[in-house]
Amino acid sequence: MKRLAFAASGAAIGFVAGLAVLARADTAPNGEAAYHALDRFGQAFSVVRADYVEPPDDKLLVESALSGMIGSLDPHSSYFDPKTYADMQVRTEGQYGGVGIVIAVENNAVKVVSPIDDTPASAAGVKSGDIILAVDGKGLQGMSLDQVQLLLRGKSGSKVTLTLMRAGDDKSFEVKLTRAAIEVEAVKFHREGDVGYIRIPAFNEHTDSGLQTAVRALKKQIGPKLRGYVIDLRDDGGGVLDQAIAVSDDFLESGEIVSTRGRDPSDTQRYDAKAGDITDGKPVVVLINRGTASASEIVAGALQDHRRARIVGMTSFGKGSVQTIIPLNGGDDGALHLTTARYYTPSGRSIQATGIVPDIAVAQGNETETTPAENYTEADLPHHLLGETAPTANAAPPIRPPAGKKIDDFQLSYAVDLLDGKVGPKTVAERKQ
Amino acid sequence: MNKYGMAGVWAAAGFTAALMLFPAARGADSVYRQLDLFHDAFETVRKDYVHPVDDNELVNSAIQGMVSSLDPHSSYMDAKQFADMQIQTRGEFGGLGLEVTMEDGLVKVITPIDDTPAAKAGLKTGDYVAAIDSTPIQGMALDDAINKMRGAPGTKVTLTILRTGAKKPFDVALTRAIIQVDTDKFRREGDVGYIRLPGFNEQTTSGLEHAVQQLKKQIGPGIKGYIIDLRNNPGGLLDQAVTVSSDFISSGEIVSTRGRHPEDNTPYYAKGHDITDGKPVIVLINGGTASASEIVAGALQDHKRATIVGMTSFGKGSVQTIIPLGEGGGALRLTTARYYTPSGHSIQATGIVPDVQVAQGDEDTTPKIQRPSEAELPGHLGVENPNKKSSAPIIHPPAGKKIEDFQLSYALDLMRGKTALSSIAKGSEQN
Repeated sequence: MKRLAFAASGAAIGFVAGLAVLARADTAPNGEAAYHALDRFGQAFSVVRADYVEPPDDKLLVESALSGMIGSLDPHSSYFDPKTYADMQVRTEGQYGGVGIVIAVENNAVKVVSPIDDTPASAAGVKSGDIILAVDGKGLQGMSLDQVQLLLRGKSGSKVTLTLMRAGDDKSFEVKLTRAAIEVEAVKFHREGDVGYIRIPAFNEHTDSGLQTAVRALKKQIGPKLRGYVIDLRDDGGGVLDQAIAVSDDFLESGEIVSTRGRDPSDTQRYDAKAGDITDGKPVVVLINRGTASASEIVAGALQDHRRARIVGMTSFGKGSVQTIIPLNGGDDGALHLTTARYYTPSGRSIQATGIVPDIAVAQGNETETTPAENYTEADLPHHLLGETAPTANAAPPIRPPAGKKIDDFQLSYAVDLLDGKVGPKTVAERKQ
Repeated sequence: MNKYGMAGVWAAAGFTAALMLFPAARGADSVYRQLDLFHDAFETVRKDYVHPVDDNELVNSAIQGMVSSLDPHSSYMDAKQFADMQIQTRGEFGGLGLEVTMEDGLVKVITPIDDTPAAKAGLKTGDYVAAIDSTPIQGMALDDAINKMRGAPGTKVTLTILRTGAKKPFDVALTRAIIQVDTDKFRREGDVGYIRLPGFNEQTTSGLEHAVQQLKKQIGPGIKGYIIDLRNNPGGLLDQAVTVSSDFISSGEIVSTRGRHPEDNTPYYAKGHDITDGKPVIVLINGGTASASEIVAGALQDHKRATIVGMTSFGKGSVQTIIPLGEGGGALRLTTARYYTPSGHSIQATGIVPDVQVAQGDEDTTPKIQRPSEAELPGHLGVENPNKKSSAPIIHPPAGKKIEDFQLSYALDLMRGKTALSSIAKGSEQN
């Protein structure tokens, strides 16, 4: 009885959905295929409801279906269930804390790329290369990076338990952490002789003002003999787009910074620089590596295309896709975190999967000895979105630290030497200016 | 196949019924709302995703996400996987010789079976399989991953392995082969017959019968009894579990499956006769004893035909049914029922609790993750009847003394009356 009623209603819905699809046939030339696909989903849903060993929760079934469907698209698209979506809104509106780790997905395992100094994670002894199996007992299987990040974040002072697996250990272990405001995201700076060094570890609401404070302070400290600036975007996983635009704008007088292009040409958005260079046109070197992703690739790409900075280091991660949050039913049914566009540098290069290739490839020297996660790029992610432009392989082999000599940060020391005129293909510089 | 027919009829009948029932669809408000939500999301992806996506693949991922969220044994097979599976179950198929489990979204190697492609290629206990032929395991149900590893003997498959201590994942190329699971591993232990059943395939019952015959011949009329070793036996074919149980029990129920709908409840009865002539039987189980082997242990325990010795079993007491989704639509592998022992205990998640709990002694040093039980699998099916816990203490191997197989040596002592059987009999009555 129950079964019959249900099978009928399942088909009824399939049918209604079919009508809706047909009604939109003008926008969907393959409406027939969509109809069949939807009908198949309706059937599967019916069978599970009727025959699963226990009566399933309809809502959970559909949430899992959405999660499976959206998660299959690319590593950055995901479905936020209503609770996750509500939590996320609270977090982005107010203050949130974190545990202080940079993570990446590698072979379907969530790995700690690096614990950030002076954060709960580093204080608790979380190490680079640790695999995170679960957060608060919740397995991370099938979750996107963004979903894992959401689980890790929360109010400062709240507790979170990570289940970790460490290479060499047979057993997983738990680490209890108390979330804190991650101070390390703040812009830091110091003088390196006559060169101003500015470290941007992430792009948040305070990044641009932090950069401007740093430039003012360095001008004061170094005075008129200031030769230039090193902007360190290494291991900067990105963040807020408008901050990437504002930071780029600080060095540019005019022209395009970045554009986003979606499916429809009408979705193209261009972001342009306004007049004013806070560094008064001083030379700039931008440091990048494989941990440089998203918003920081926008900055590196814009400054590279405008020949405003020389990019030094290793090819960046290649996360050049834009995610849009699309609430379902006003957010009552959660939201889609959907990749809707790609970023393009001013010269029209897509960052996606290709990354930013440095003008001068300089290896830190530890690349092969460090965790695999560090040598791991968007192109290595399963189901990554393909880049549209062919990868521009950097023909020259990277400059490596001299053997036998121990240099703490070879890339930085190379960048400073470059600004001091001590090293570097000056000819390249001259040709470019 | 009869399910196929049914699914087809539902779709067709549902369709005509839809026209009539449409005004009444309000009654199924929740269902309507949920499907409508799915439709909205589907349309949003079709319209707004950064590039056009294949409708069928979207729906495949959705069904996979939905079905695999139910429990670790339910999954969706797309049309191609379903076709592959049908070929495999019809004809001969090969494998790699890995016993695996699912852990944190990856397939983890429990044991590479001796003399198989996996063992020859150097795969190790504790290795994670991250990808099969470059297809990531993420989001895949365990059964799907196993199916992907299987294929025609002689065909090649490449596994991407993550190994503790190895810095980078590495690929291992393997050639599938027929995996001979030795079914007649038996030997005499003095006046006791020892028979190990490593799995349940078509040859298991005949192998057992052969072993009993041989042991009777070897030991003669003085044979004290039999030890049936089901440790680390992950199960297999249900009908073999029934026939193996029948070799010890002459009549009565062996197991029943119960689903949502009473008409789906199926009892299986003993057929045949006791091939051991009523000699005492001890069944050895541990945390690796699952599914079909739990059916045997449960039946012999409930009929008081055997004393169960060892540690609580895995607890995989669910039945999966293949339900095709119409022409070219693939099929669901759906958990539709639970197994119940003759006394009405569900095996699911609880497992079989031994009459005499005897630890092997290596349980604590074995990494916990190598011995997950069903109750530890993410999203496992719940328990219906409350956990029947054995209140008896666990017997551990004596400290300082090295005994290679303590559980077996305990079982032999028990069979020979060196340990008190009377207390055991009482113990089993409490259950």
